[in-house]
Amino acid sequence: MHLRTDLRLENVTLSAGSSVVLKGVSLQTSLAGITLLSGRNGTGKTTLLRALLGLDKPSHGSIFLRNAVPEDIRKDVGYMPQSIGDAALAIPAFSHVLNAVGGACWGLPFHWRARRREAERVLKLTGARVFAHRPLGALSGGERQRIGLAQALIGAPELLFLDEPLAGLDHGAQNEIISLLCELSRNLGIGVLMTSHETSSLKDVVSRTLLLEGGHLRARI
Amino acid sequence: MLEFEFMRHAFAGCALVSVIAGPVGWFLMLRRQAFAAHALSHIGFSGAAGAVWLGFPPLAGMIAFSLAAGLAIGSEHEADRGAPVQRDGTIGLVLAASLGLGTWFLHMANGASSLATTLLFGDVLGIGRNTLFSLLAVAIVCLSGLGVLCRPLLFSSLAPQVAQAKGVPVKIAALGFMAVCALACSACAEVAGALLAFSLMIGPPATALRLNLGPLAGVTVSTLLALFLSWGGLILSWETDAPVPLWIGLGAALLYGGAGLWVRFRNLSVRTTSSIRAQ
Repeated sequence: MHLRTDLRLENVTLSAGSSVVLKGVSLQTSLAGITLLSGRNGTGKTTLLRALLGLDKPSHGSIFLRNAVPEDIRKDVGYMPQSIGDAALAIPAFSHVLNAVGGACWGLPFHWRARRREAERVLKLTGARVFAHRPLGALSGGERQRIGLAQALIGAPELLFLDEPLAGLDHGAQNEIISLLCELSRNLGIGVLMTSHETSSLKDVVSRTLLLEGGHLRARI
Repeated sequence: MLEFEFMRHAFAGCALVSVIAGPVGWFLMLRRQAFAAHALSHIGFSGAAGAVWLGFPPLAGMIAFSLAAGLAIGSEHEADRGAPVQRDGTIGLVLAASLGLGTWFLHMANGASSLATTLLFGDVLGIGRNTLFSLLAVAIVCLSGLGVLCRPLLFSSLAPQVAQAKGVPVKIAALGFMAVCALACSACAEVAGALLAFSLMIGPPATALRLNLGPLAGVTVSTLLALFLSWGGLILSWETDAPVPLWIGLGAALLYGGAGLWVRFRNLSVRTTSSIRAQ
C-alpha cells in the first residue's frame, strides 16, 4: 500500500533550551517533491527536524508523519545531519555506508552479501561509488554529502529529511546536490524536506516552502 | 625461554590481553575515548590497592572499580550536541576521586611502595595459573559483549545522529561498551600495569586507524599488532633485562610513527602516479 506523503502538526509547542521554536502551531501539508524548511539562524530548524524524527519531543501537541507518530515510521524516513562522520574521518567512506545497513540490530553482522549489495545500491544512486573506497576525511564537501545521502537512502525510505545539505559547498557542488535531490525525488518518488539558507539556488526546484519564524510555521507553495 | 613455566604463563597472558585490547581499543579510538582508557586503567589501580588492603585479589578490585567508573562515564553519554567536553570533565573528576581513594588505600595497606610499583607497572612475569583463568574469563565476557554490541556501537560511532534517528539505543550501547572497556582495561593493567595498560589499548588501534582501514581489517590489524607488541615486549625484556612495559610503550609509539610515515609515502606515490598519468 502506498502511503500518502503528509506532515500534520496539531497545536505543537516545541522548545530548544530557553527559546521557543513552535508556539501552538497547527499545520497540514504534503511533503511530495522537495520541501524547503526555511528560517533565520537560530529559529530552530534543526530542532524541528529532530522533532519530526521523534528525537526531540514537543512540550505540547502532537506531530504526525503519514498519520503515524514519528517513532513508528522511522524505517520510512532517511535523515542526513549537517555534519557527517566527524567522528571517524580515517575510515573509508564505504564502511560508513555499509555499517549503517542493519546498524540498529544487535549481534554480529551476518548477511554480508545482502548488506554489501544494499550499500552498493545506495552509493550508485548518489553517484558515490567511484570514491567510496577513500577515507571520509579525504573527500570534498560535495562528496561527503553524497555519502551522507547514501546513508540516508538505506532501506529505501519514502521521506528524506536533510539538515543543511548545501552548507559549505561551492556553487558547482550545490548545483550537483540539487540535481541529485531532484532526480531522487522524481525517479524514486521520495519526498525531500530540507533546511537551507540557499533559497535562491533552490527557488526553481522546491514544491513548497515552510517558513519558520517567531514560533510560527507557514507553508508557501 | 619457554622452558620456564612463568614465561609460558606470561606469553599466554599477553595473548589473552592482546585479543581483548585490539578490538576494544579500536572502538575506543573510533569513539575518541582514549582518555577513558587512560583513566579506567588508573582507576583500576585504586581498586586493586583497595582490594589488597581488604585482602582480596587485586584483579577483583581492579574490575570492581573500573566497572563502576566505566558505568559512571558511560552514563554521560555522547549526545549529538556538545557532549565531549562534558564527558571529558566527568572522566577527569571520576579519575581524580578514585586516585585520591587509591592513595588512601595504599597508605592503609602495609608495604605500599612495592605494591604501588607492581600495580602501576604490572607484573607480567608473575602471572599465575589462577590469573590466567581470570584473564580468560574476562576475555570471553569482553568479546561476547562486543559481539552483541558491535553493530549499534559501530553505527552510533560512525554516524551518531543518523543512528539515533533510526532508533538505535545509543545510550545502552555506550553504557555496555564502557562496561566492556572497564573489564578490558583491568585485564590489560594486569599485564602492562596501570600506567601502561593504555599503550596496549591505544597504540595498536591508533596505528590501524592511521592506516585508514575499515572496521574488520582495523580490528584484525589492531589485535595482531597488540600481540606483536606484547610478545615482542616479552622477548626483548628477556634479552635485555629491561621491563616489559618499556618495550610495549616504545613499540606502540614507534608503530604509530611508522604508520604515519607509511601513509605519507603512500599518498606521495599515489600523487606522483596520478601526475605521471595526467602528463
